[in-house]
Amino acid sequence: MKRRNLTISAFITAICTLMIALGVFMAPSKANADTKTYQIGTDVTFPPFEFANNDNKYVGIDMDLLRAIAKNQDFKVNIKPLGFNGSVQATQSGQIDGMISGMNITPERKGTFDFSKPYYSSGVVMAVAPNSKIKSLNNLKGKTVAVKTGTAGADYANSIQKKYGFKVSTFDDSNNMYQDVMTGNSVACFEDNPVMMYAIKQGTKLKIVTKPANNGYYGFAVKKGQNKELLHKFNVGLDNLKKNGEYQKIVDKYLKANPNAGSSYADNHSFFGILKQNKSFLWNGFVQTLWLTIVSIFFATIFGMIFGLMGVLPSKFLQGVSTTVIYIFRGLPLMVLALFIYTGIPSLTGTKIPAFIAGVATLMFNEGAYIAAFVKGGIQSVDKGQMEAARSLGLPFGKSMRKIILPQGIKIIIPSFVNQFIITLKDTSILSVIGILELTQTGKIIIARNLEGFKVWTAIAIMYLLIITLLTWLSNWGKRRTKI
Amino acid sequence: MSKIKVSNLYKQYGDNHVLKGVDLEIQDNEVVVIIGPSGSGKSTLLRTLNRLEEPTSGSVVVHGEDIAKKDVNIDKVREQIGMVFQHFNLFNNLSVSDNIMLAPMELKNVSKEDASKLAKKLLKIVGLENKFDAPIQSLSGGQKQRVAIARALAMHPDIMLFDEPTSALDPEMVGDVLSVMKQLAKDGMTMVVVTHEMGFAKEVADRVLFVDKGKVLEEGTPDEIFNHPKDLRLQEFLSKVLDA
Repeated sequence: MKRRNLTISAFITAICTLMIALGVFMAPSKANADTKTYQIGTDVTFPPFEFANNDNKYVGIDMDLLRAIAKNQDFKVNIKPLGFNGSVQATQSGQIDGMISGMNITPERKGTFDFSKPYYSSGVVMAVAPNSKIKSLNNLKGKTVAVKTGTAGADYANSIQKKYGFKVSTFDDSNNMYQDVMTGNSVACFEDNPVMMYAIKQGTKLKIVTKPANNGYYGFAVKKGQNKELLHKFNVGLDNLKKNGEYQKIVDKYLKANPNAGSSYADNHSFFGILKQNKSFLWNGFVQTLWLTIVSIFFATIFGMIFGLMGVLPSKFLQGVSTTVIYIFRGLPLMVLALFIYTGIPSLTGTKIPAFIAGVATLMFNEGAYIAAFVKGGIQSVDKGQMEAARSLGLPFGKSMRKIILPQGIKIIIPSFVNQFIITLKDTSILSVIGILELTQTGKIIIARNLEGFKVWTAIAIMYLLIITLLTWLSNWGKRRTKI
Repeated sequence: MSKIKVSNLYKQYGDNHVLKGVDLEIQDNEVVVIIGPSGSGKSTLLRTLNRLEEPTSGSVVVHGEDIAKKDVNIDKVREQIGMVFQHFNLFNNLSVSDNIMLAPMELKNVSKEDASKLAKKLLKIVGLENKFDAPIQSLSGGQKQRVAIARALAMHPDIMLFDEPTSALDPEMVGDVLSVMKQLAKDGMTMVVVTHEMGFAKEVADRVLFVDKGKVLEEGTPDEIFNHPKDLRLQEFLSKVLDA
């Protein structure tokens, strides 16, 4: 009896340690006091307003403008390419201070955001494939059009959908939306005029067939009632730049005749050219994915072992805890869990969670629940007679577990572990939704710039297979070493 | 003094009453064979003797201690009761010798050397001295059961429980296992055996118990039970198993 209590308390101690370890990780880092640095969210792919150039630095009208204003008003910015929706959520939850992302000022958004003065005026145009028969909105009846979530183009399309009788297909970034029109799945897309113009100049094979409609104004946004100082600085800086002509220079740089005038590179669009150009960027994504996988597997294994073993202890209470934990975390889709931890928890508690930690926690809970389930199942699948025989000799429960049941259970579990590691690796790609710059996110960013979807995704796929080969080799080596 | 004394023992799973008031006494050096139709509760009765089954009510006194009580250190009691199972239940992750050596080394602090000597001696007794290092998976059923007996003997128990030890064996294997058991009985081991081997019961048992529907319906010497059965259900049972 005493021994059993010891085992249980050992488990509880282990869980507490894990929680504390996580807590330490999650503790907010101390802010730098001197020049204030603001965390600003932006879209991953929204040229010409924001996109990564060949040196993988974020540039574009929004980016250059924000940096110029920061310089003018003496503050620093840390750009976070979280995607448009990711930025909206991160701003609302206080993870970041504000966002600049070609964001239209709408009455609806004014309910939850405070906007700067408008810094750009835009309108929505419709673009179609070069040889398309679609000439105006009247040709759209019964057809499908592509839009990007949360954009003015999407709002416009939805508002006229009934009138012109078309269906709307929604995408998460511009490139996928253009591709859908070029491949003919959708007959047209709705996009902000400057964005469309820039994309066409960059080689996107579409043409604009309508005049800009539904003119809107872009604004810099902070959470309603927060960061008043930042908003004020932005407005003052914007006025200054407009007065001294710098504003016009920035806009012209991206929209006037030759948008690439400022940069000195020539794009090499061959497969190896792309690899060479993005070498360090791809390498960083590769390392980030590998690192994310390894750290997550480590914590998921501990988590899974604890809750799996808890499920086979002779205590109804602990068995219940195990079942509940597995039920909850195995039942939640990974993306929902990631967004919940990264944006949901901070908006409740006010504590920021770094994306990497949130990512690791997400995978720890989700993959850990799967591990717990097969650890529990593996141990339960060991013949009941083994435990009876051990107990009949006088071996206590803990000893019987360690000497007889676990060694047999682990043997059953090992293949599932290798499988789960590979799944974990693949699931890291889902963490691109919270803006972690792992391989998938890296691929999206590169494609946003060069629009070479096929070649870049081929490279990314090869890199994933490389990591899987590496992991499989590692687990085989481990199996040989432990002679299991 | 009796080694085991069972009084008014009840066991039920939900609505299923498996044992309905069993009284039983087993003396030192006695060999008791329990017979009865399948589902009669005889295995459950045997398994309550080392609390692999927890009694619903009643008492099971072993070596003067009532193991039906929760506060008993059951592991200590079990060290002195060997058990042999129908499906052997040898530890699949250990070799033959490690199966035998595990409990003495873990529970009695026997050195590896002494445990190894003990294992050799016991394997000789059961006729398997050449299987010392063999993996469990390489043994036949009869060999497995003899290793299982050696494993139980390694703790030097003074009571041995056998739960249908030959039921899962091919016919030609049964003899080897039974002869080991006969030798044990001859050496004075206290044994409780649940079995369908009526020949073994006739030859070796000091006393035979007939159990049906959760009760001991008749008990006596092998001669009384097999040649002069009084209970109607026992007569019916014997006519079925002996004709077959």
